Amino acid sequence: MNAVQPDRVEVDPVTLEVVRHGLISITNQIDANITRTAFSPYIYEYKDFAVGIVGADGQLIAQCTGGIPVFVADSVGQAVRDGLAIHGAEKLHYGDVLLCNHAGVQGQHLNNTVMYTPIYAGENRSKLIGFFAINVHWIDIGGAAVGSISFSSTDIFMEGLQLRSVKLWSKGERVDDMYSVIENNTRFPHELMGDIAAQLAGCFLGRDLTAALADKYGSATFMSAVEKILDQCEAATREKIRAIPDGTYKAEAFLDNDGLSDVRVPIKLAVIVSGDEVTVDFSDMSEQVDGCINSGYFGGGRTTARVAFKYLIATDEPANDGTFRPLKVILPEGKLLSASSTAAMGLYSIPFPTVIDTFIKALEKALPESVTGGHFGTFSSIRFWGKRPGSGAPFNGNDSGHGGWGACATHDGAGPFRTMAHGDTRMIPIELQESIYPYRIEEFSLREDSGGAGRFRGGLGFRKRYRILSPCKLWANFDRVQCPPWGVFGGSPGKPGKVTIVKNVTGKTDVLYKTDDYPLDNGDIVIVESGGGGGYGPPDERPPELLKRDLLRGYITREAAEADYGSRMLA
Amino acid sequence: MSYAVAVDIGGTFTDLVAYDHATHRVIYSKSPTTYSNLSEGILDCFAKARVTPDEVTFLSHGTTLVINAFIQRNGARAALLTSAGFRDLLEIARGNRPDPFDLQYQRDEPLIPRELRFEVPERLDANGEVVTPLDINALEHLSEKLKELQVESVAVFFMNSFLNSAHEEAATAGLKRLMPGVYITHSTELTRERYEYERCSTVAANAYVGPQVNRYVRQLEGDLKGQGFEGALFMMGSNGGLLSVDRTCRQPIGLVESGPIGGCIGASAYAEYLGFKNVVAFDMGGTTAKCALIDNGQFSVESTYYANGYVRGFPIKSPVINIVEVGSGGGSIAWLDRQKRLHIGPRSAGSMPGPVSYGRGGTEPTVTDAHLVLGRLNANRFLGGEMKLDVESAKCAILKSIADPLGYQGADGIVKMADGILSIATVVMAGAIRQVSIEHGLDPRDFVLITYGGCGPLHASALAHELSIPMVVIPPAPGNFSAIGMLLADARLDESKTFIGTLDEMTARSVTQVYEEMETAARSALEKEFGAKEVLFEHHVEMRYRGQRHNIKVPIGKNSDHLAIRQAFERDYKRRYGHVDNKAVAEFQAIHLSAFARQRRPDLAYLPQTIGTPVAPYVRPVYFGNRGKVVETQCFDRYSLPPGFAGEGPAILEEYGSTTVVPPGDRYEIGAMHEIRIHC
Repeated sequence: MNAVQPDRVEVDPVTLEVVRHGLISITNQIDANITRTAFSPYIYEYKDFAVGIVGADGQLIAQCTGGIPVFVADSVGQAVRDGLAIHGAEKLHYGDVLLCNHAGVQGQHLNNTVMYTPIYAGENRSKLIGFFAINVHWIDIGGAAVGSISFSSTDIFMEGLQLRSVKLWSKGERVDDMYSVIENNTRFPHELMGDIAAQLAGCFLGRDLTAALADKYGSATFMSAVEKILDQCEAATREKIRAIPDGTYKAEAFLDNDGLSDVRVPIKLAVIVSGDEVTVDFSDMSEQVDGCINSGYFGGGRTTARVAFKYLIATDEPANDGTFRPLKVILPEGKLLSASSTAAMGLYSIPFPTVIDTFIKALEKALPESVTGGHFGTFSSIRFWGKRPGSGAPFNGNDSGHGGWGACATHDGAGPFRTMAHGDTRMIPIELQESIYPYRIEEFSLREDSGGAGRFRGGLGFRKRYRILSPCKLWANFDRVQCPPWGVFGGSPGKPGKVTIVKNVTGKTDVLYKTDDYPLDNGDIVIVESGGGGGYGPPDERPPELLKRDLLRGYITREAAEADYGSRMLA
Repeated sequence: MSYAVAVDIGGTFTDLVAYDHATHRVIYSKSPTTYSNLSEGILDCFAKARVTPDEVTFLSHGTTLVINAFIQRNGARAALLTSAGFRDLLEIARGNRPDPFDLQYQRDEPLIPRELRFEVPERLDANGEVVTPLDINALEHLSEKLKELQVESVAVFFMNSFLNSAHEEAATAGLKRLMPGVYITHSTELTRERYEYERCSTVAANAYVGPQVNRYVRQLEGDLKGQGFEGALFMMGSNGGLLSVDRTCRQPIGLVESGPIGGCIGASAYAEYLGFKNVVAFDMGGTTAKCALIDNGQFSVESTYYANGYVRGFPIKSPVINIVEVGSGGGSIAWLDRQKRLHIGPRSAGSMPGPVSYGRGGTEPTVTDAHLVLGRLNANRFLGGEMKLDVESAKCAILKSIADPLGYQGADGIVKMADGILSIATVVMAGAIRQVSIEHGLDPRDFVLITYGGCGPLHASALAHELSIPMVVIPPAPGNFSAIGMLLADARLDESKTFIGTLDEMTARSVTQVYEEMETAARSALEKEFGAKEVLFEHHVEMRYRGQRHNIKVPIGKNSDHLAIRQAFERDYKRRYGHVDNKAVAEFQAIHLSAFARQRRPDLAYLPQTIGTPVAPYVRPVYFGNRGKVVETQCFDRYSLPPGFAGEGPAILEEYGSTTVVPPGDRYEIGAMHEIRIHC
């Protein structure tokens, strides 16, 4: 992707900065607009979308700074490159809008649909300077299950409609047939068409703003500035890598299962640091599985490598192809993170937090100041679904899971936060949930003793107790029970999460981790406990004042303190 | 004598401005802030201004006391009382990480630690009906424990209380009875909006600063009265209005942005006087630049404020003027990172050591140094000549830190880089203005840029060009504009309520009914607190299409029917997002009422006050980026130019504490209020 523009011109450092600020400001402006106008909670609540500017050759130039980390790695470039390969640049006209959600291209669940439009600048819009692209999680794109995602799907065709680089608009005109195909293949046409309108408005406005920025300086200067920006990011990242001792660093972990069978899913990787390059070798990763937690090469392996790399090494550099040039990925076909285009991918991102965690663990000895203990590492989300009492209308209430994060060299782990696959994603207020779903939440508190012991303690998970007020079904998604969040440098692991159900009539208790449709009745109690983070450093090095504070605040119980730190330290 | 006085306590200085209603004279004075006893500094300002408190009929007071308590964490030992099961709400917050790639991210510690958070059996359901009655015995038991723990204040928060405040009120009354002398506050006296974490955080914040603010305000009132003050004392609220002392004591969080809003009020009063409806108010000082929007004559007031910022801070549900701040001021440092990328700020040389050219030991070039190198500032007339600036050292610093490493040689290179520093500063500040305008769907081309603060007028024209704003207005004495603004504030009360309902004929009627009740309460509060005779109201509803999550705030009339409300909603929606959906169902989410009572204002026409003797016009060479060269430029003493005077750029208009730059190609004129108008 290191394409040098043949007409590269000298750009002065001031113009360079102005273009840099301009690009970021455009993507952030479109981000703000989409958040405000979207209809589905995936967008306004989870920020499950990304806004990006892609070069004429398909390189990622700039992406909005918000959005979830999984998308930050470049969720739009591959779609554009596919469109370029299929149509050729000369057939991508001003006013065309393309869609792509294809598993063989992006390699993620089909909800993630990239929409993009070419940006032409210069006189009579004669020069293709790039594409304005927006990836949005579509609320439902057909398939076997509501929302197009279920543990029980075993191939991609059970997960909905695939659109591969097709035109939604052509030369400024709507392609009505395509709208009709989409509208008739979703369970929520109102929400989806609303979101598509927001996505489309964002593409057009973003295109015009980018063209205006390019025209202000001339497209040759603009494109040279872009190249320079990418080069500088590359240089900054290489410098960071040079500071890491060379070596091959390995780590492994596993997922409890793939959601269908009880077989563990190994997550193994090696990080090879050599000079100013980092290679992530996924050769020993699990093979593709039957369950729907597969992802493709771009949306899986390359994405997780980039996200982990940015978390630990390229933290301060913007997400663009320059920043990621020094990162190489070794990943044979047919693995969990490079599955075939027909594999089930509905819950493609489930392994991601663990893959990122494992990358960090691998570099424990190489980057002692930067690494953290493992985080709770699993989506831990639950969903109550069924029909509303009275009207019988379907409802689908998703409550997000949060857990403890790992401790680091300077302080205790924080949280509860969502996983490393998420970012600025806020939990849905309880007062809102109670007003629209048939349950009441009786407790929402920190889960004592859930953080791993250590010189610095892992962050705590939470406990949430729901009282069910009318019959419904429960969906849950917990993992990392058998491979709990580990400590580093001698820190102890955090406690894994679980869901406990107390049946009202029988008083019987069930503990479960993954389910699609556990039946619940009036008065049943559902207790969700999320995992804690791993500790950092040996527990006997914990400063006494922190231990005392933890006891005073009830972050740990006396019994746990005695077991983890010993009575000598409590004296 | 009858003075209106405004006092602003800042981090370094306490500022006073006094206006004599009889003679229209304006007096400024300044004194170091006295942290041990803040009223000492105020009384010192009175002495310096030669005004005695008994001559003052009206005193408005802004203070950073509240925000400082949050940031320095020196507030009260407060306890939190919640519904059973929810004491950790304050610590868990909303589970988000606004800085996604910071592996070691932590939120600021909660204001009230876990050992001081307690639960009491009580619960309301999602309709506000009682599920579990409030356990009064448990409350009595708890009060004993709180006394033992020697808490100074208690915050009461219950789930779903926004629908029914009876339990919170009963618990508050109970605790007041059981714990006399302890500051007790509950969430629904501060906000009637839903969302538990935000309401809980708000009342915790109020309890945290309550005791301190009460002590301070009561002492100040006492000290002033001791000096013969018989006038009315008001506090400057974050909503841009005055607050009575009693209300301040009940809702001290209303002061959270008491400091920087004076300029916004001034800009709004000025705009009204000059007949501008849409204004960007832009304030640039030594360390930061701030901007706010006046849209159709009104500030945008946000109902959620993040103390210490969104990334690590906590939310407060209290009306605050929407001010966006960026770290670029006159003292902002220009620097290169390891990849030789040129950055401006956010680090600032501040007032000590200050820019290199101040000669106080600063070594890194700043925005002010760049202005000086380009000839935009006069080295000999800075602050009326009180301070000589060293051009040579500024040039050296730019050469050494910027031009040389980037390969720009000689005098020409220094000038190019100095101009580049200003260009980048302009882009950064324009970003802040875009955030308050374009990102809310408003087009800056429809706005006038009112610029103040010592450094604002140096950048105004460049900013206007960057944003395609057609006109810049610079009021007289831009350096003192914020203080003057505080003299122009109205009494103001903002009330908000969650109100959920589909937009139809019936619901529109209940909106009117709710407004009737809210207006009655607000009118009687303003009559009681300000002796207001006439109370004005503004009505906004928060609306959205069903299924959406983000609301827009739509101005409506109290008696608007559903058709009129729909029209207002669609007009605003279209303006913001460029499209509307005529078929989609619209719904209400919240109701806002703003009530105003006008105060006796200084006459703005008398505000220009010349300091020092006017200097005759002269010519000096100034570099202009848009010409790419040095141009011989006419320089004027601003106050020597009479209203009606008009000219063409290039021109420099100088005054004490500020300099206005009119680049070649712009026209300017002096308006009737002595304001400078630049047509860009």
